[in-house]
Formats: sequence, structure tokens, C-alpha cells
Amino acid sequence: MNKIIMDDTTGRDTILPALAIRNLNFWYGSNHALKEISLDFPVHQVTGMIGPSGCGKSTLLRILNRMYDLYPGQRATGEVLFDGRNILSPGLDVNVLRSRIGMVFQKPTPFPMSIYDNIAFGVRLHERLSRADMDQRVEGVLRRVALWNEVKDRLNASAAALSGGQQQRLCIARTIATRPEVILLDEPTSALDPISTARIEELLDELKQEFSIAIVTHNLQQAARCADRVAFFYMGELVEVDTADKMFTAPHAKRTQDYITGRFG
Amino acid sequence: MMELPSTITARDGVAMDTNARGRFGDLVFGMIARLAGWFILLVMAGIVIVLVSGGWRAFSAFGPGFITSTAWNPISNHFGAATSIFGTLVTTLIALVFAVPFAFGVAFWLVEMAPPALARFIETAVQLLAAVPSIIFGMWGFFIVVPFMAHYIEPVVTHYLGHVPGIGLLFRGAPYGTGLLSGGLILAIMITPFICSVMTDVFVSIPAVLKESAFGLGATRWEVMRQVVLPWSRQAVMGGIMLGTGRALGETMAVTFVIGNSNRMGWSLFAPGNTIASLIALEFPESSAGSLKLSALLALGAILMIISFITLACSRIFLQRGTSN
Repeated sequence: MNKIIMDDTTGRDTILPALAIRNLNFWYGSNHALKEISLDFPVHQVTGMIGPSGCGKSTLLRILNRMYDLYPGQRATGEVLFDGRNILSPGLDVNVLRSRIGMVFQKPTPFPMSIYDNIAFGVRLHERLSRADMDQRVEGVLRRVALWNEVKDRLNASAAALSGGQQQRLCIARTIATRPEVILLDEPTSALDPISTARIEELLDELKQEFSIAIVTHNLQQAARCADRVAFFYMGELVEVDTADKMFTAPHAKRTQDYITGRFG
Repeated sequence: MMELPSTITARDGVAMDTNARGRFGDLVFGMIARLAGWFILLVMAGIVIVLVSGGWRAFSAFGPGFITSTAWNPISNHFGAATSIFGTLVTTLIALVFAVPFAFGVAFWLVEMAPPALARFIETAVQLLAAVPSIIFGMWGFFIVVPFMAHYIEPVVTHYLGHVPGIGLLFRGAPYGTGLLSGGLILAIMITPFICSVMTDVFVSIPAVLKESAFGLGATRWEVMRQVVLPWSRQAVMGGIMLGTGRALGETMAVTFVIGNSNRMGWSLFAPGNTIASLIALEFPESSAGSLKLSALLALGAILMIISFITLACSRIFLQRGTSN
């Protein structure tokens, strides 16, 4: 899906971002939660979103797959361009959208079914695969998240029996099983121990070869370790976005500097 | 040794006998609470003793045949429980067939789709429906449901389904309006609120993030409900259904009004029948003390109690397991 276009201003080849947010505003009822956000999510990169609690970073993530649709009183204006379309437009099929923009949540959320079915669930919603193809898909994604060796003998066991870290890797496997182009992660390691966290972070590094990744995190070290680009949000506004290196060594804005040095947050 | 500040002095030497302050109040309150608790068991025991000892004559006169016999003849003093057990089970089954999908539909709509203000209103209405006395349902059933069944539903169903091999047997016979089907339908309306409120409670209690995970994979509302919410809440939903079943089994007044009260057992759902509860309600005033008939009615009561007890026990087990995960 990477479309090469000519950039008029520089004459260089540039790659269209996987997702492009333009002048996005969001309201919870009358609470203006996001203000005039414009942000690109480059293809095959990890974009980290940081900021204090309530700054709107998780809200932003939930707009990108239209999760806010589930709740009355929440609305968004502006544009989020994905594959040439504004995903905020009413005519869009959100079920297809969500299969192309997957999401992983703060806490592992295995479905009340077997390990195998947890992965097959999402695939079955969108594709009709033969038993053999499905087996292959399940094995493939479990290998991708380095879970295969741990669960291959008990694919029919309940997913609830796995450890927290394993469950979260299962959830990532489940998300990539529908072959999305973008993966959204909402503080995916905040409920995990340091070892499980490290494994997820390694995994992200590998997954970005194939997927474009947006990750919300409270953990600044994690953002520094995993993200190619980092966006800093404060009180519903996008303060600054830059490469991770620059963001953590030489931020432009005073507020960014205060936040990353631990003066608030 | 360190000196304590002068305003605080040690309370050494306070007696620690049983007659300390407040002990008497504790004692009285404890006794009352304990009595109340034991009294429940006493009442339960009393009921069981009356039913079993009262029904003993019938049980010993007819043996196990009491349960399988369809007779109910006060003249020749032959009594059997089969017809009313049959009626009880069939009406309850009919009630469940209608009430479970109905309650599920209402709960699904309330939880997933209805605007919040409207949902609150409907939920209150559902609870009010549960509070309607059964005698009201009985009268309403007699004046509205029975004529409606007799004039519209039963003739039409007989016309179209009466000749179908197999299930046609269920829909034959004269359209009296009163009968097993009407009894089952009234019961369905009566137990729907119970099943529905249990379902609503468990559907609401599902972690939002679990549902969002399923939505996040591109599932529709129905797919989320069927494949995530229902499996997650299966136990509690079963418990709710059992709760409704227990109520349907023992419901008396409403059923007595519409079931036709005839000691017959057959395939047709349109035919009048009876249930254990309706039979007892009708025959009890006409049974003289010490008669075999009275004993047979008490024996029926014991059987109903056993069936209800098993159902409620199942419901408790399901609800407990369902809410503990």
C-alpha cells in the first residue's frame, strides 16, 4: 500500500503516511478533548504518543479505528486519511476499517474461548479459510509473536490460563491475524512485568517491518526505546512531534522539556 | 523505662470479665439474630414434614405408580400425578421457549442499542412487570389471551400446521383458547422480567475493554454478543433461565385461569390440561380432611417442591459460578 508520490516542494520521492490526521477535533459531550490535531503516522515506523494522563493520547488512538462510535455523545471533526479516504466520513464500513487498523489494549483481553479460537475469531469475521489455511494462519501469527513454542501443545486450552505476558502476545497475534496495515497499541505493557514488557518491545521492533504502528505509552523510556517518532500531547493539544532522538535530547517546547525531565506528569 | 506524656495514663487493671460494658445488648441482639436464622430452617422443615407425612398415605397406597398414573378419580379414589406433572413440565417448557428469546432480545436491545434514557425507562417497566400480581395476569389472560387464542391464533395455526406430519399433532383439536399453550404463554410473560433482568445485569457487567477488543477486530454488535458476551456470561444466563423456570413451575393463579383445568394428557397443545399447582388450587377446597384425595394433593405438593428445589439449586450453582469468573 505504499504509494510513492513526488513531493512538489523538494522534488524528492516521499512515501505517503499510513495515516494522516488533519485538523482533528474531538468532543466528549461538551468537553473539547482534542484540539486541531494534525499528525502523520509514517509507514513502517513506530509512532509513540506521550503526555500526562488526560492529555488526549488514548482518545486519539480510539478515533483512528472509530472505537468512539460505540458511545453516544462522542464526536469528531476534521480528517483522518487512510488509504485515500477520510475514515471519519459517515459512509465508511467501520467493521472493515477495524480489520485494517487493529488495536491492542492496556490489559490483555483474551476472549472466553480457546487459544486457537482467539486468533481464528477475527479472521473468520472477514475471510473464509479452509481448516488447513486457518491452521497455517494461526501458527504463523503465533510464531510471529514468539508464542508458538509455548502454546503449540495446548491450542485448544482456554486462553485465560496463559500468563499476563502471554495473553498480551496472544492479543497482538490476534490483531495481526486479520492482516491489518496499522496497529494501534494503548499502553500495551502497563499491566505487565519488566520481562514481558521487554519481549513486547522487541516484538514491536520486528513488527514494524510489516505494519505501521502507533503506540500510546506512559513510560518515557519505552517511547525512547521503541518509537521512531514521538508526539507529545498536553491538555488536548499536540505540543510537539519529532524523531525520538531529538524529542528526548533537544525538545523545542518548554512544556515538552518539563514533561520529559519529570517536572510534571 | 520511658515516661508517657502525663495526659495519657495506662488503663491497667480494667476487668476483662464477661460482664463488661455492652455485653448484655450484644447478647440480646445475638440471640434474636440467631433465632431468626434458625427459624427459617424450622419453617422449611415444617413444610417438608407436612407435605411428606400428609402425602404418605397416597404414596403408600399407590406406590411408584402414583407418579406414572394418569388417573384422577375422586369417586373411585384413584389418583395419579402423571397428568399434572406432564402439564407442569409442558407449560414450563412452552414458557421457556417463548420467554428466553424474548428476554434475550429485550436485554440485548437495552444494553447494546437503546438510547440510555429510553433504556432506563424500559428497564423500570420490566421490573414493574415482575411486580404485577399473578392474579392480575390470570384475569388478563382469561379476558384477553384466551379469546385471542381461540379466535385468531389457534384456528390459523391448526389450518397451516395441523396437517404437517409430526409436529402437526401438537396443533390439532378444537380452538378452546384455554389450554397448555395459553398457560405456557401467560407463564412466558410472567417469567420474562426475571430472565431479562438477570441477562441485563450480566451483559452490563462485562468489561468494556473485552467487548472493545472484539469490536476492534471488526466484529458487528451481533458477532460480539454471540461469540464474546454470551460465552462469557453463559453461566449467569443459565442461572437466570433457571430462576424463571422455578417460578414457572410453581405459578398457580394465572395458570389456573387459562389452562382449562382438565385431567387429560395428549399431544395437542391446544387441549385443556392442568398443572400440579392448578390442580391443588382447584381441588384443595373440595377435599375433606383425612381423605385419600387430600393426601394425594399433599403428595403432589411434595413432588412440586422437589422439582422446584432442584431447579432453584441449579440456578444458584449457575449464578454463583457465573458471577465468580
